[in-house]
Amino acid sequence: MKKYTWLTLWVLSLITVFSTGCDKDDDTPTPTFAYQKIAEGEAAGTDIKIEIYSNEELTTGYNPIYIALFDASGKRIEQAAISFQPMMDMGMKQHASPIENPSSGQAVDGYFPGAVVFTMPSGEMGSWTLGVQVQVNGETGTFTTPVTIKEPTTSRLKSFVSKTDGAKYFVAYLQPQQPKVGVNDLEVAVYKAIGMMDFPAVTNLTLALEPEMPTMDHGSPNNVNPTHTSSGHYKGKVNFTMTGLWHLHLTLSDASGEAGELHFEVNF
Amino acid sequence: MVKEMKMPLLLGALALVASPVLAQQKPIPADSVRTIVLQEVAVVTKRHDHQQHLQNFYNANQAATTEELMSRMPELSFIRRGSYGMEPTIRAYSGGQVSVTLDGMRIQGACTDKMDPATIYIEPLNLQRIEVQTTGASSMQGAAIGGSLDMKLAEADFADERKLSGSVSSGYQSAANAMMGGLRLSYAAPTWGLRASGTYRKSQNYRNGRGEKVLYSQYEKANYALSGKFLLQDDLVLKADFIADDGWKIGYPALPMDVGQANARIGSVSLVRDNSERRWSRVEARLYANRIAHYMDDSARPDLPIRMDMPGLSRTSGMYIEGTTAPGHQQQLTVRADASASYLTASMTMYQEGQTPMYMLTWPDNRQLQSGIAAQYSFQVSDKTQLQLNSRVNMSDFAVTTGEGRNQLSVFGYESTARQFLIPSVSLQASRMVYKKLKASLSGGFNGRTPTASELYGFYLFSQFDGFDYVGNPNLKPEKSVQGEFTLSWQEPRLRLQTTAYASRVQDYIVGAYNPELSAMTIGARGVKIYYNTPYALLAGAEASAVYNITGYTQLVSTLRYSYGSNADGEPLPMMPPLRNITSLRKYFGDYLWVQGETELAAAQNRNSESFREQPTEAFMLWHLRAGYQKETEKKVWQLNAGIENIFDVHYREHLDWGRIARPGRNVFVQLSVGF
Ligand SMILES: [Cu+2]
Ligand SMILES: [Cu+2]
Repeated sequence: MKKYTWLTLWVLSLITVFSTGCDKDDDTPTPTFAYQKIAEGEAAGTDIKIEIYSNEELTTGYNPIYIALFDASGKRIEQAAISFQPMMDMGMKQHASPIENPSSGQAVDGYFPGAVVFTMPSGEMGSWTLGVQVQVNGETGTFTTPVTIKEPTTSRLKSFVSKTDGAKYFVAYLQPQQPKVGVNDLEVAVYKAIGMMDFPAVTNLTLALEPEMPTMDHGSPNNVNPTHTSSGHYKGKVNFTMTGLWHLHLTLSDASGEAGELHFEVNF
Repeated sequence: MVKEMKMPLLLGALALVASPVLAQQKPIPADSVRTIVLQEVAVVTKRHDHQQHLQNFYNANQAATTEELMSRMPELSFIRRGSYGMEPTIRAYSGGQVSVTLDGMRIQGACTDKMDPATIYIEPLNLQRIEVQTTGASSMQGAAIGGSLDMKLAEADFADERKLSGSVSSGYQSAANAMMGGLRLSYAAPTWGLRASGTYRKSQNYRNGRGEKVLYSQYEKANYALSGKFLLQDDLVLKADFIADDGWKIGYPALPMDVGQANARIGSVSLVRDNSERRWSRVEARLYANRIAHYMDDSARPDLPIRMDMPGLSRTSGMYIEGTTAPGHQQQLTVRADASASYLTASMTMYQEGQTPMYMLTWPDNRQLQSGIAAQYSFQVSDKTQLQLNSRVNMSDFAVTTGEGRNQLSVFGYESTARQFLIPSVSLQASRMVYKKLKASLSGGFNGRTPTASELYGFYLFSQFDGFDYVGNPNLKPEKSVQGEFTLSWQEPRLRLQTTAYASRVQDYIVGAYNPELSAMTIGARGVKIYYNTPYALLAGAEASAVYNITGYTQLVSTLRYSYGSNADGEPLPMMPPLRNITSLRKYFGDYLWVQGETELAAAQNRNSESFREQPTEAFMLWHLRAGYQKETEKKVWQLNAGIENIFDVHYREHLDWGRIARPGRNVFVQLSVGF
């Protein structure tokens, strides 16, 4: 930098006199999210109190769920095995939905994080309940609460019937939640329906991503196709060159070929 | 001039008055400087003597804009996208390759489509003279490979007796049904002076040579200039200048968008010490700042799939200090240090009903700091031989200033956007009287230029020229040029002939390269090009001019120029002006009336760039007739200028005109002014 010394001198004097073109570092800080309590109650047959939290209202799609457990004395329980049991009663039939149980038995900052992928909204078709089964020190009990699932303004869950194995697949949109013009982390999760009650994560797919601005008929460069990380989650990069309505086209293939395609809308 | 002439000073509006004029001002002239002295302005700022009144006539079409005046200089051409806001090129160098300054002040255009070159902010009414420098001498103004264009502002004056003077003028041009009005007031006192001027222009869509209206070619603008001068000490003057320039509804027929509004505010304060007794005979220091706001939209265009706004903003502040001294007998040294900081931002918003607006930064917020030290050393070795050495070291520092801007560029994998450039330039010129009145000058040197903000950071900037969206590349290297120039001139009181040949090789020549993997953003665009450095390009050409005073009352002025350019693959470069000649014959009838016939000839340009989809351009020949009459009463000077341009209503276009839009057909102009 020595050779720039006198340049710096000039520049400093300029900047101090005119203060033109000063750098603005306005990278938005990551927002601290709030826990929103959905329900609380006792696990049947135990004196363990269960509190169920989410970040936002529950909607069709991937919903992070946080469980807080308290013993009879009101003390937080830090060690437990938890599983979710979402169920939709549609009168004639019942079905469950994909879940992600808290992966470790250890609470993080007092909460056990997991997720539930609700596959449709509550309404005339039927109503949802969410069961939370806990196992603490050999004691096991379940707390079940009715939950209302809303349909988000832009769909965050897509499904298709695979061309290769005929099964129904669900693809949930996780990221970007706060899209920006630039490079964005992209994350989706894929599940397969086996019967009405079993929705395992699908880990062997190849995903091809193609963003498109439908009104202008253009895409964006240098996107990174999502690849599987864990538990059916696929992470990649999506680039937006401008704000507005984008379609993120995803083509999903397995070992025997293209299974299906779908798109998510991103409007910002 | 050098030798006082009793007869009218025969200097055409398009005359090359290089060395003789400068010879009066500086002890040692620079051969590579071409100056147009606008006599109209000279009159109003200087004493009202008879001779200067006559010089009023030389500015043939006084309703002309600064651009129209400049386009008659053989070194200059204009890239035309509309009838206003044409982009000056020097010997086919354009954009960031040339340095365009207003009285030494840098002004960055705020338009991503180059609709607002700095030449539009000055009107003939507040212009003193235009200085065009080619090759090395331009290094005093900035780091450029194609030369420099500097427009000197008219100044206020001092007078021993307090005096108010002024002028009112009005003009009309038929092809565009255009009106112009100008007003100037000057007040001179022994220790201070003020000068205020205003020009208003309104032009409708013009009519081309086939009688068709060229849509979106209208414009309206007002320019105000105020300058003050204060004598602080016997040899120390404080000057303050302010220019406001506003344009509205400026049409660009060759582009998909027009300008709704464009505002420029340009101000400066300077100190000048002029004293030949001192060691530094002249020292000037100046602080300046300017702000350009540009609002581009397509609201006037019918049937568009999407409406779009593209505003841009540029702010620049800077300073320079320049001093001249004589380090020895017959030597002159001018040293200049300058620095400036520019801030640029431009965005695009598109509107589609029922959707969030589509928004992007077309120039991600960025700033450019630049600083340079330059020196010009002249040495009159002997009666016949003269040497001039020009040099400059230029530093610049570019950066994208906001996270938003950096995020956008990261889409292209550009992680680091800050760049620093160090650009040295040196040139040496030797002149010698080789035979009687024949003088030969040879100059050679190297220089360079930084990439522009568009070339570094541009984000999907659509170019109507080749139909591609352009994306910047922060990893560009600067362009470097090696060049040589040879001039022969013959000079005697009645005849002056000059011919110049030049050639240059530009290393790392910057152009856009088509990237088929990228999808165009602009609807209808053919793809995306990213700027990159090509190995090299060659530019060469020649200019010739003759000023011949056939009799004391008849004068012939003729200029000729030709440019040649090719890239490393041998393909012609785009936007190369073809062979062109302008010849005028002027005759004076007494001291008050003159008539001038003029022909303008351009050869066909068939060396067009295929990769830019450039089309060949046909040859054309135009005839113009101009006349001026002046009447002097005791207190007033009346002037009438009139003429017909393109008498035969030829349908033509120039090679540098974008979009194959025809130029105006027959144009009758008339201008009346009264000075007191
Ligand atoms: Cu778009
Ligand atoms: Cu513009």
